[in-house]
Amino acid sequence: MDRKHRSARRLGTDGWTPMTGIGVGSGGGPGGTSTVSTRRRYRRLLFGSVGLGVAANVALRLLSYPVAAEAAYWVGIVGFLAVWQFSPVQLFDERDAELERRASTLTLVAAAVVLVLGASGARTLGALGVYDAPPFVEGVLYGYVGLFVVFAVAYGWVSWTR
Amino acid sequence: MNNDVRARREERGLSQAGLAEEVGVTRQTINSIERGRYDPSLELAFALAAFFECRIEDLFDPDGDEAE
Repeated sequence: MDRKHRSARRLGTDGWTPMTGIGVGSGGGPGGTSTVSTRRRYRRLLFGSVGLGVAANVALRLLSYPVAAEAAYWVGIVGFLAVWQFSPVQLFDERDAELERRASTLTLVAAAVVLVLGASGARTLGALGVYDAPPFVEGVLYGYVGLFVVFAVAYGWVSWTR
Repeated sequence: MNNDVRARREERGLSQAGLAEEVGVTRQTINSIERGRYDPSLELAFALAAFFECRIEDLFDPDGDEAE
C-alpha cells in the first residue's frame, strides 16, 4: 500500500475524517472519482443553471413572452437548488467561506457608507430647500435600513445558536 | 504564515489538485495556503499534518509571513 493510502487509512482509524463539514464529499479520496473535477463540474452547473434561467428570462421578456420568461427563470432557480441539494460533493470549502465572509463585510461597509451619507445628505438638502429627493431615493435608503435590520437579526440568531 | 506545504507536496510528487483531493478542499485553497495568502482552519491544518505524517508545527510557522 502506498503512502497516500496509508495516510488516508490512518485518518480513518483515528475516527476522524478530514474536512467532512466543509470539504470532502462522497466520491473523493484515494481510489475514488476526482472530487476536484466533480466539484468544478457541479459548481458550473450550479451557477450556469441560474445564469441561463436569468438570461432566458430577459430574452423571453424582450420577445414579449412574459409567462414563458418566468417559467424559464424558475427552471433556472429549481436547477440551482437541485444541484445545491443533490450534488455528490461539497461545492464550497473553507476558503470559499472565508472569501464570502470578507466580501460580506465589504458589502456591509459599502452599504453603511451609502446609508450614512445618503440619508444625511438627503435630509440636509431637503431642509435647506436645495433638493428634494424623489420617493425612489427614499425607498432605496429604507431598503438599506432593511438590510441592516436583517443583518442585526441574523447576527443575533447566529450568536445565540453558537 | 510560513509553511512547508509546497516542499512536502513536491517531495511526494503530488500536484496541488492531488493534494486538494486528498484533504478535501479545492486546488485554489492549496494554492493560497502555499503562497501564504490563506491560513487554513485548525481542521484543515490537522488534515494536512496527518497526510504529511508530521506535526502541525512542522508544517506551519506562525512567526513568518511569506505572503506575496
